[in-house]
Amino acid sequence: MNVERIIKFELGRLNAHLPEKRITLKSALSLDKPSVRTKDGKAHYLKREELELLSKLLPEAEWDSLLLPIFISLEPKLGRGAAKIKGTFEAKVIGKILGKETSGDELIVYRPEIAIIRRKLATTTQYLFGW
Amino acid sequence: MAARVTISPNRMELMKVKNRLALAEKGYDLLKEKMDALVMELLNTLKAIQKSKAEATAQLKRGYEALSICMAALGTFETVQAAAETKKELNIDISVRNIMGIEVPTVQVGGIERNALARGYSLHMTSSLLDTAAREMELATKVLIELAELEITAFALAQELEKTKRRVNALEYILIPRLRESVKFIMMRLDEMERENFTRLKRIKAILEKRG
Amino acid sequence: MSYKIAVIGDLETVAGFNLAGVQFTHVHTNKEKTLAKLEEFLTHGEIGLILITHRAVEDIGPEFHRRVQEKGLLPLVLKIPDRTGYIPERDELQELIRRTVGVEIQMKTEGK
Repeated sequence: MNVERIIKFELGRLNAHLPEKRITLKSALSLDKPSVRTKDGKAHYLKREELELLSKLLPEAEWDSLLLPIFISLEPKLGRGAAKIKGTFEAKVIGKILGKETSGDELIVYRPEIAIIRRKLATTTQYLFGW
Repeated sequence: MAARVTISPNRMELMKVKNRLALAEKGYDLLKEKMDALVMELLNTLKAIQKSKAEATAQLKRGYEALSICMAALGTFETVQAAAETKKELNIDISVRNIMGIEVPTVQVGGIERNALARGYSLHMTSSLLDTAAREMELATKVLIELAELEITAFALAQELEKTKRRVNALEYILIPRLRESVKFIMMRLDEMERENFTRLKRIKAILEKRG
Repeated sequence: MSYKIAVIGDLETVAGFNLAGVQFTHVHTNKEKTLAKLEEFLTHGEIGLILITHRAVEDIGPEFHRRVQEKGLLPLVLKIPDRTGYIPERDELQELIRRTVGVEIQMKTEGK
């Protein structure tokens, strides 16, 4: 069935924009034009203002532990409109942006919060589709 | 339904169709998430466009007005000539960011505004009217660059949204219902066959008993 | 990457952007010449943004949209009002949004 091929294709490309390898905040700050390479071979640039915002939210000792772009993981099983931020430092920094208490290595965020995150961190966050 | 004709009702086929249905449902859930995220991105961008467009329209108007005043005072020809002599060193920095597979531009503008000397038109032409027109047009250019980035982003997001919506609808209204029908059809046929088998066995048993 | 800007419009509009430091300009007088120039700007390589007046776009007609649809991400193309402030009634972005999001989003500016 033709539609079925399309779904397989769509699912296959759903995460093709994610980086092959993420970059730490520390090394991003040290680069003239910080960017990552997506799995489908394209460049994705990180905006300097966003890097500077992030660097103000984390102590310098932790710059090496924050991986960029930060993933906003959309998982249907969390319910529509909810997403998960994985990683201790990633959760911490997003929590600070939203004014939310965090502990542990993940943070659940909801649609209005995602809108805020995306407005402030348009290049340093990326959607990830999980299942 | 045409699909039914090709389905042979057996356990294998039932499993295959059920797997397809699971894939379609998974695809539906994920594409729906993507659709929601696209709508949110688009609304964010539109909000920014509203502000940027108002700013750009107003600033461009100021620029054109200053230009008209300049042309009226210095003469159109002289103004055009000064414009031709102006240093053309305006550069913009464009890089690409990716939103769910959609490539959109990120434009960064350096110092667009210059002082009168840096503009480079010959000094005998220098007039505060010319400087005002140049400054207002520099400011207008700056906001137009920002607006261009936003409008192109909105177009790209809206086009992807349209495509995703079509896929979601095809899954919701065509593929998933069709696969559910097929599952029902196969299960029904299997049931029927089982019942037929059962009756046949009963009949055989009865015949055998009679003989015995 | 660093790019230049190009402007297409009437003489005065072009002069205004020249004053702002825009390097590539074309004064629109007739459809054929402008279309040829647009092609040149689109394939130039150094140009990252083309500003073109709504009026010039209307004079070129459907060929403008066909050509802009075909291009890749760059150069960016933005339609702008000319000196008379001319903006057509029909807003393509608005129409696309209405079709996709299904809501009317007010994008007209108060100043108009």
